[in-house]
Amino acid sequence: MTLGRWSKLAALARRQGVLIAFVLLVASMFATTSTFGTYQNLINVLQQNSIIGIIACGMTFAIILGGFDLSVGSVTALASVVGATIMIDLGVPGIPVGVIGAVAACLLVGATNGWLIAWLGVNPFVATLGTMTVVRGLIYVATNASPRFGVPYSFTTLGMGRVFGVPNPAIIFLIVAAVLGFVLHRTRFGHYVYAVGGNPVASAQMGVNAARVRFAVYVLVSLCAAISGIILVGQTASATPQAALGYELTAIAAVIVGGAPLGGGRGRMGGTIVGVFLLGVVANGLNLFGVSPFWQPVATGLILIAAVAFDGYSKRGGFGFV
Amino acid sequence: MTENRVGDPPDALLRAEAINKNFGAVVALQDVSLQIPRGEITGLVGDNGAGKSTLIKIISGVLTPDSGVIEFERKAANFTSPAEAREQGIETVYQDLALAGNLAVWANVYLGRELTVGPKILHILDKRAMLSKTGEMLERFIRNVPPIAEPVELLSGGQRQVVAIARAGAWGSKLILMDEPTAALGVAETKAVEDVIFGLKRQGLTILVISHNLDQIFRLTDGVWVMRRGRVIGYRQTARTHPDEIVSMITGAAASAGAGA
Repeated sequence: MTLGRWSKLAALARRQGVLIAFVLLVASMFATTSTFGTYQNLINVLQQNSIIGIIACGMTFAIILGGFDLSVGSVTALASVVGATIMIDLGVPGIPVGVIGAVAACLLVGATNGWLIAWLGVNPFVATLGTMTVVRGLIYVATNASPRFGVPYSFTTLGMGRVFGVPNPAIIFLIVAAVLGFVLHRTRFGHYVYAVGGNPVASAQMGVNAARVRFAVYVLVSLCAAISGIILVGQTASATPQAALGYELTAIAAVIVGGAPLGGGRGRMGGTIVGVFLLGVVANGLNLFGVSPFWQPVATGLILIAAVAFDGYSKRGGFGFV
Repeated sequence: MTENRVGDPPDALLRAEAINKNFGAVVALQDVSLQIPRGEITGLVGDNGAGKSTLIKIISGVLTPDSGVIEFERKAANFTSPAEAREQGIETVYQDLALAGNLAVWANVYLGRELTVGPKILHILDKRAMLSKTGEMLERFIRNVPPIAEPVELLSGGQRQVVAIARAGAWGSKLILMDEPTAALGVAETKAVEDVIFGLKRQGLTILVISHNLDQIFRLTDGVWVMRRGRVIGYRQTARTHPDEIVSMITGAAASAGAGA
């Protein structure tokens, strides 16, 4: 009886380990600090994690496909620099042009990644490390490494505005997560992402065009990075060439913590969202407890390792009482 | 070369005429002609390098011959891709690359042929329909249908092969090609896979199976083609031959007795 109950609990912990950890974390935050549960703080957590969250939604596809995309940080910066530059030059009427220009520039990078990986067979690490470095370099060349100021102030509605008290970036994150979650879990395209990530040879034999799926995924990841970059402009009315440095690794960490292993074929959009907020709440907690922000990457790294170790450990046969 | 005319099977679903295939200087198939009788299980045996796999790849459209004609249902059928062959009703069961382990049984059965609902452009999966129809499809060939909602990687090797073979038969196909379908399986699992192969035959499908296991060939097949060094040595009806005769045809011990190649 008790054994059965324990093994049920263990099975639950195996499947929903991250979610349980997240719930425990949030509960203990509520219990230990009164500031955590304030409206302002919760809004802050949402606001701060939306940009990474949007990137992580795209990254989920790349990781399930068996790859990843290191260029997203550079692409985010590219979107904000291109978008901001056009908006500064053209003023308020140039806002849509800026958005379109930013998206187009990013899709070009995504298409390059996709082409290299899908048709030339370049390893995703090498391909996206390359474009990450090239794109960042081009941004420095074009801006002379100096920030762009003077985006029309009205554009900050996108980054700073709220609807019914919810920050716009968080709303955009929720929309992106809902749409991409639907695409991943309910459509044929999402199904093919799992199939190609699980067994590319078998998928091709059964008539799945693996190259087209790969190409589409890397374009999709860049689109997510473009959205994040545009929101970044909306938050600061400016663009910095150094923006979004290291975002690629935070996004990958969030996806992995959310339960998608690097080997591909596995993972869920819901897991990624939990992963994003798990890392986000830990960072917020460190902040609330007055710990130096320099500790934040330490915490992120430790959580990443703990999550992966737990995953591997539970797959190898679980705990003693299973 | 001429001997194979003697035992030619009567009603051929597929006919290969004078197929030649070279890989650089290596002659893989030389003037290969054979027929696969409709509704039967036909064996294809020969030593390593005899050209069996190359022939199967040509029939299934993976490779194209340098010369020669394939006729399927009395129509020219020199396929240029596996998809083309599949469209005409020729399915291949590959040794162990056939299934995506992370996908459920139903998802593997429907891989590349998903049922969708709603607006065409969205391609929304109709999981419920695929789940229930997978059950129906597999029950036609399999006595103990594995759990169709579970990922394939949780199944045993035998169950996986059973799923792969049943999938090949599930799509209105006419001819199923199998390359060593039980090479990695234990005794009980081999039995289960052979039962599925008989199940396909009962449904009227034609099967061509490569195997090194002569016991299996004699259990399964109605007739058997023997190849050696890229040539067809001959055809025997299983009921009218003996393993010793097949072995001597495979090894060439009977060459002087009349194969003449």
